[in-house]
Amino acid sequence: MRRAAIESDVCIVGSGISAAMVADRLARTTQAKIVVIEVGDETVPLPQRAAARERFLRYGENPWGRDHLEGYEVEGPLQSRSMQVGGLAMHWGGVTPRFSPEDFRQHSMFGVGTDWPISYDELDPFYQEAEEIMGVAGEQGPPDLDPRKKPFPMPPLPLTYNLELLKGWAAKAGIATWSQPSAKNSVAYRGRAQCCRNDTCTPVCPVGAKYSPDFTWTPLRKANKIRLVPRTLVRRLVLDPKTKRISHAVAVDRDHPNQPVEIHAKLFVIAAGYTWSPHLLLLSDVANSSGLVGKYLTGHRNVQGYVDLPMRLYPGINEQHSLVTKQFMRRAPGTPYIRHDLRIWESSAGKAPRLVDDTGALMLGDAILDDWRARTKTGSARVRSYYDVIPDRSSELTLDTTRKNEWGDPLPKLAFRDAPESVEMRAQTEDSIKTLFGEMARAGNGKLLRTSVDNFQDHPAGGCRMGSDGATSVVDSWGRTHDHENMFVVGAPTSVSGSCANATLTFCALALRAAHEMERGLARRTS
Amino acid sequence: MPTLTRRTFLASLAASVPLAVIVRQAHAAAVVHLQADPATLDALGDAVLPSSLGRAGIAAAVAAFRDWGAGYRERAELNHGYGTSRLRFTGATPMTRWATQLDALDADAKTKHQRRFRELSVAQRQAVVRSALQGERLDRIPGIADANHVAVALLAHFYDSSAANDLCYEAKIGKATCRPLSESRRKPLPVVRVSER
Repeated sequence: MRRAAIESDVCIVGSGISAAMVADRLARTTQAKIVVIEVGDETVPLPQRAAARERFLRYGENPWGRDHLEGYEVEGPLQSRSMQVGGLAMHWGGVTPRFSPEDFRQHSMFGVGTDWPISYDELDPFYQEAEEIMGVAGEQGPPDLDPRKKPFPMPPLPLTYNLELLKGWAAKAGIATWSQPSAKNSVAYRGRAQCCRNDTCTPVCPVGAKYSPDFTWTPLRKANKIRLVPRTLVRRLVLDPKTKRISHAVAVDRDHPNQPVEIHAKLFVIAAGYTWSPHLLLLSDVANSSGLVGKYLTGHRNVQGYVDLPMRLYPGINEQHSLVTKQFMRRAPGTPYIRHDLRIWESSAGKAPRLVDDTGALMLGDAILDDWRARTKTGSARVRSYYDVIPDRSSELTLDTTRKNEWGDPLPKLAFRDAPESVEMRAQTEDSIKTLFGEMARAGNGKLLRTSVDNFQDHPAGGCRMGSDGATSVVDSWGRTHDHENMFVVGAPTSVSGSCANATLTFCALALRAAHEMERGLARRTS
Repeated sequence: MPTLTRRTFLASLAASVPLAVIVRQAHAAAVVHLQADPATLDALGDAVLPSSLGRAGIAAAVAAFRDWGAGYRERAELNHGYGTSRLRFTGATPMTRWATQLDALDADAKTKHQRRFRELSVAQRQAVVRSALQGERLDRIPGIADANHVAVALLAHFYDSSAANDLCYEAKIGKATCRPLSESRRKPLPVVRVSER
């Protein structure tokens, strides 16, 4: 059978946000020939996104075309079915807090979980680099809560009229809040437009004010600095048994499925997220001398609440923007390990128009509007806290022997499980957050309408955790696999734990730190 | 005047095969039906939408609803949810049942008042609508396509709009439209009524 061959210095598997960070860095600093392999289709071009958004708003349609593979119904909580050039960050919310220093020292400070092999300070320059590549608009929080060495690349997204009122409310409850850092342009940035509050950041920004990986891929492709190959699934990484290096990857071109593709490279970078990275390693039976590939899947749950407040708010000014505080992330050593973030949004909870009144009578015509107006004299806020979940070893991705893709490869199976210390603390943690919401409501003379706990672990990560010891981790602190000198895993899968804040920026920082290490083995760009 | 009666509309369905073709034709026929006989839907708008919209505002809201119906696509992939690999798709066109329901409102008006629905007073129309909605579960406004009755669908469509939000708050909020970022800081400007100019 004839095989197609692709030769490169660096083969990046996946084209999501971590892959984009690595490619951006290596294309700037090295002369490496870079090829990026993506199983999904090309993404919807920016000029078509306004129309796609309109269909989403009107009918709820997916704005990203055919961004999935048939037959990929996976057992367990897959973050998203979406696969396309740019990955899940084509429809992310663009929210970019950093983790806090405690996240990297959980065990030494609190006696729970596992310390990371790097510190917050070591990651700080890579956070900064990621923020500059993406364009992050942010407000410096109180330095003791929100440490950083350099300013944000852009001024913060302004607090809306609603958020200013809600900030005052939070202050009455003793909580210092500030504008949520976001990869959304508060001013025009690197050729991309300023945010104009379309308020559909998730799932689609129609003007390109929110960073998405296509804004890295498009110029790199135009300048021939990388080659991006879509619709191609890497099925196996093949090991040279003598050298223990990855010799090549075997892939299938979805347009020519009967002609296998071989990809040869000096360096392989697995940047396919928390599911498909460990999945590929397990399928290939590589990098797993520790037996930990697919283990320690991590993330964070949330407790959410709605508060009725005696203030006139105007929902719709900029609903996806929020206030944030890290006040509850920064626990003193030795205290119970209850850590969570807190965000506050404008909301219309309990204030939506309705068709029947309190007596159950149907309203028509002016009655509906009159009723709606009467109920919106006061406002409501949404409050939500992500809280830490320490992952158990059995929180895992395994190969599903009962479900296969169309090429006969087992699909992954996902199961998230808390470590015993998290199981023990769960009720206390959730009660503590609900109590906080109640106290906040009282501080504003308001009323806590309802709370809920989302059992799904958001911003999932892990599966190829980093560590100093090859017996207890899959990759080192740079993302290089302990077993194979020429293979890195980058971004989400390398996370040791999921913190209690949106994690995408941290995945990007980790990927950039890995790229710095990769540079050492590649010819440097001189100009 | 309508060129497609309910009977011919249903007959056109029965004569069409296979199912996918039937469904497409049913949707198209319903759209044509509503366009050919706009008066009942217009009259429904007058009855259920707020009078403070004014005649032009109500006409615009009804026209936008009609456009929504015309643009509906069946089996379109819905936005992916997080936390699941299950795909979801839009359902069968609601337009066929809505067209039938409009005919039913007209028929009920004739039975009760010996006049077309469009010829009734707003109060009489509302009574016909109330009668049609008896037994419906209406504790919340459903998604537009999920509305069991055309009257509820029209309301769901309008109250989901930025215009409705502005009308409620009597302020130019402009929800989900492209607006200058800097203006988000200030209290939204009040909506100036025509009579106040």
